[in-house]
Amino acid sequence: MKKEINATGQACPKPVIMTKKELDNINEGMITTIVDNEAAKDNVSKLAKSLGYEYEVDAKSDNEYHITITKGDKEEIEKKSDKVTKGNSKDVTIVFASDTMGKGSEQLGKILIKSFIYTLTEATPYPSTLIFYNGGVHLTCEGSEVLEDLKELEAKGVEIISCGTCLDYYEIQDKLQVGEISNMYTIYERLKNASNTVNIG
Amino acid sequence: MKERQFGVVAFKSTQYAIKADTIFNRHNIKYRTIPTPREITHSCGLAIKFNLDDIKEVGNIIEDNHLETEGIFKIIKDNEGNKAEKLH
Repeated sequence: MKKEINATGQACPKPVIMTKKELDNINEGMITTIVDNEAAKDNVSKLAKSLGYEYEVDAKSDNEYHITITKGDKEEIEKKSDKVTKGNSKDVTIVFASDTMGKGSEQLGKILIKSFIYTLTEATPYPSTLIFYNGGVHLTCEGSEVLEDLKELEAKGVEIISCGTCLDYYEIQDKLQVGEISNMYTIYERLKNASNTVNIG
Repeated sequence: MKERQFGVVAFKSTQYAIKADTIFNRHNIKYRTIPTPREITHSCGLAIKFNLDDIKEVGNIIEDNHLETEGIFKIIKDNEGNKAEKLH
């Protein structure tokens, strides 16, 4: 079974919702979602990834992306989700709600957070996901003093996601240097699925 | 695991560590503010990590700015764990 969803012109998170709805409707098959911007492409891809479905992205142009998701049998899906939790990373999600650690002195808080993120690079197993929202998104953008550490973590397989609404609010969407832009759906999914969530900030 | 070496300055107090972070930031030198390695126990919790090639410059910065340290250390990381060697 093949189906096409035209999500061009739809504001975030509509393309994700439309795709999810169709995927829920079918037992197995292929669904191609067409979107007109990169953020939507990433979000739909991430949806597929988080559900454990195979997907392929075909960039037709700068404003036309086709994401084809294959919903296969359950056994296969479970096998894939197993892989994510095994290996070098622990099923822990760390949330950075601001660019300082704790309340009190901002100067101290900024140093503590640098020191904390450095520590993450030194201790294994690594967390599976780092989530940055509100003031925390400054840490993943240009000018952040922890970019090098975050890039190292990303290279080691740690998923790094920054809240798109927040990047937009601070008008630093084009300054993102590491990881991916995401939405509240993905953030909630990571928080909900992790066996452990640690809040910093 | 490959052996890794780097320098670490440990400070007398957190205030000096914070001051050092601001000062090092103004210099063209690669450094990192890190939690003081466990091998160096007798100091405050924050330290400056640097490349051993820059040891002379690091020493000058500390002296010029009267930063009170617990010492400058060489940290050696290998398969057997971490070792700290006091340099200064």
